[in-house]
Amino acid sequence: MSGCDCSKAKAELEELLHDELCREDAADIREHMANCEDCTSEHRVGVVLMETVKRACAETAPEQLRSEILARIRVEQATH
Amino acid sequence: MATAVLAPARTRPSPLVLPATSTSLGLDWAAMTTDEPQAAPHDLVEATEEQLDAVSEERDALDEDGDASSADADLSGDADDLSGDADLTGDDDLHQDADEPEPADEKTVSEQELRALFEDQALPFMDQLYGAAMRMTRNPADASDLVQETFVKAYAAFRQFRQGTNLKAWLYRILTNTFINTYRKNQRNPYQGTIDELEDWQLGGAESVTQSVSARSAEADAIDHLPSSAVKDALQSIPEDFRMAVYFADVEGFSYQEIADIMKTPVGTVMSRLHRGRRLLRGLLADHARETGIVPDAASTATMRGRGRGATTKKAAATAGRTDGKDAR
Repeated sequence: MSGCDCSKAKAELEELLHDELCREDAADIREHMANCEDCTSEHRVGVVLMETVKRACAETAPEQLRSEILARIRVEQATH
Repeated sequence: MATAVLAPARTRPSPLVLPATSTSLGLDWAAMTTDEPQAAPHDLVEATEEQLDAVSEERDALDEDGDASSADADLSGDADDLSGDADLTGDDDLHQDADEPEPADEKTVSEQELRALFEDQALPFMDQLYGAAMRMTRNPADASDLVQETFVKAYAAFRQFRQGTNLKAWLYRILTNTFINTYRKNQRNPYQGTIDELEDWQLGGAESVTQSVSARSAEADAIDHLPSSAVKDALQSIPEDFRMAVYFADVEGFSYQEIADIMKTPVGTVMSRLHRGRRLLRGLLADHARETGIVPDAASTATMRGRGRGATTKKAAATAGRTDGKDAR
């Protein structure tokens, strides 16, 4: 509806990705992307980058850490 | 006379009896139905900070007298010395406020209940905090120490945590604070502080504007297929403040405001760090994909990266831009 061109869309894609836009702005950009392959492909890179980083950074703390922390906290509690 | 009045407050057996706010404990717990769930992070972070400062000052004071467990006796004997200590006198008003009603309120939630609640609510964030700690310290041993220290501090301050507010952000704030105070002190990074002022062209990174649709599509596929180790290496090579902004937003899903609170920086700076961090990361990953042949040649040429700057980008990332700035001139 209201004019959303490529430069406006591209400038706000990162905020769209991080869910930082108000509903109207987000809707404008999505509407623009529906008809703009260029912005859609740029957005896809952003999404993939985020997903890839998220996937790569998933960690599980060592089992030992959990028991160490529980022990430390119990000591802290006892000294209060 | 004044010191005689103050001394009992300091020599209380528990070094972590926490000042002032502990008197409102009963109220906080009664008001568990918070009516402003989103307004909280900033306030709570401020409160946490004062809180933690108080804790670490007490700790420091104790450390001077030897190990904490035997410090009680020493402290009572040294009350006069301590009252001359600038750090401690800064806490005086807090201690005085805490004096009267505290014992009764302290029983509102027993230590045991508090610990159970803490284990229930805070410990489930251990894996996530460990992930962040790994990105900060870059090795499992330090990451474990950092997470452990974070939980101990968080537990010491947990009585002041307002139920219903953002526990995750609160824990990350403590993690970040602990990291900066413990680890960053030891790393002399000459670029720290200037990194936010560098221009984009000095930093390098991907220049997406010049890409074609098909090149972007190939780039997305390539990034998607990169091994985790390559992604972590790339992340590790970008400046720390950028890296953590990307981590907090992309991995943890914190809002810009929450990241601003965690990193103690304006939202505008968060946005800039995030944008630059992602741009650098994207450039590095595209490089990696091309070097390892994940990207078909046709798609990778010319449009994959901004013109000209590709060769210096890695160096720019690794040295936080200064070298690149010189080269480019």
